[in-house]
Amino acid sequence: MISAVNHLWLMQVIFGAIAILGFSIRSNIKGSILIFTSLGGALCWGLYLMFLAGTSSLLLSVFLSAAVVCIYGELMARAYKVPVSVFVICGIIPLVPGSGLYYTMIAYIEGNIVDAMTKMGQTLMIAGTISVAIAVVSSLANIFKTMLRRF
Amino acid sequence: MSDLTLNKVAELAIETGRVILESGGETHRVEETMHFVCTGFGFESNESYVTLTGIFLSVKSPEGEIVTLIKRINTRIVDLDKISSITKLTYNLMKKHNKFVKNKANKPMSFVEFNENLEEIKARKQYPGWVKYVCGGITPSFFCLLFGGSWSEFSVALIMGICVSLILRYLAKLQLNTFILNAVGAGFIVWFAKMAGLNFGYMNTDKIIIGGIMLLVPGLSITNAIRDTMAGDLVAGTARTTEAFFIAAAIATGAGAMLKLWALLV
Repeated sequence: MISAVNHLWLMQVIFGAIAILGFSIRSNIKGSILIFTSLGGALCWGLYLMFLAGTSSLLLSVFLSAAVVCIYGELMARAYKVPVSVFVICGIIPLVPGSGLYYTMIAYIEGNIVDAMTKMGQTLMIAGTISVAIAVVSSLANIFKTMLRRF
Repeated sequence: MSDLTLNKVAELAIETGRVILESGGETHRVEETMHFVCTGFGFESNESYVTLTGIFLSVKSPEGEIVTLIKRINTRIVDLDKISSITKLTYNLMKKHNKFVKNKANKPMSFVEFNENLEEIKARKQYPGWVKYVCGGITPSFFCLLFGGSWSEFSVALIMGICVSLILRYLAKLQLNTFILNAVGAGFIVWFAKMAGLNFGYMNTDKIIIGGIMLLVPGLSITNAIRDTMAGDLVAGTARTTEAFFIAAAIATGAGAMLKLWALLV
């Protein structure tokens, strides 16, 4: 898993950070939070590449990297007193299956129904995995908050 | 407390909620914020029901007087700055009620002060147009590199992103619905990438198109859908999920129609 970390990986992470910086400005985020939203996107993409090289399982890597970004978002939101969704929305964007959507459409137009169905299932599965990661982390955060209040 | 009437507080609360919902906030955040505003100004019995297209708020005064307001929401844009500013504002308001927070100012926020802050946040401008266009170019071009594109594809995606942002901005002024906006955007992305591939040669048009599509994907809808559902708001969660599928279908329709057209003509 660590062997995936080389200069190419570093370049990918930097490109990811710049892409998410552009996305955050388009979503009208202002001030120093911009740095941390782009860092979240970079973290997401870097971890995704590392997990993908280490486990060679697409859905597991998507789940783990999305979960880490959500935890990062929960922590940063507490520190900066902004909603968690600000960090999560920007952080998960690299994982959203835009390519799956496109390849589904290509297969569909070529009349290759079996391929189209496979690609569509994969796209939906990636979107579902991201949702599950967000759901798991936000419920765990709720449990943690309740425990802090009780004890 | 003399001039702080029930009507004023209820209107202020629903106005705060409206700004958050129109900026793309989650519905449970709107409900929470309105509850905080009413409670912070001394009206502790209040109930609200928020969907993506409307806000219902009912406040009861200690004397038993009841005010109910309904607000219809027509436009929804993405403006995360307003959401975070208002969250900070209500957080300051609730300081005196929150025993976990040390109250440094030791003075509760007054009604006038809160209203002034809210007006200032409402009047806040978004980034100027050219910044948004440049960012609209940066995002797809770097996503293009992220998904394995080369530098020549990067430059095409940069120009394409700027053009798409310009087109979407002007189409938004015509008040078209989300479906047509995204379909036209995706169609233009495919057309531009295919034209570049035709004229310059040796270009992986797939990577350019995927980078461009990342500009349109419904990341906010997916996130808010699942967060609303987990907060127990099933109506808003379902509505957001529908919105996400709707946008995805629009992108697929626009891209697909243009791909088929291209295959027929060229």
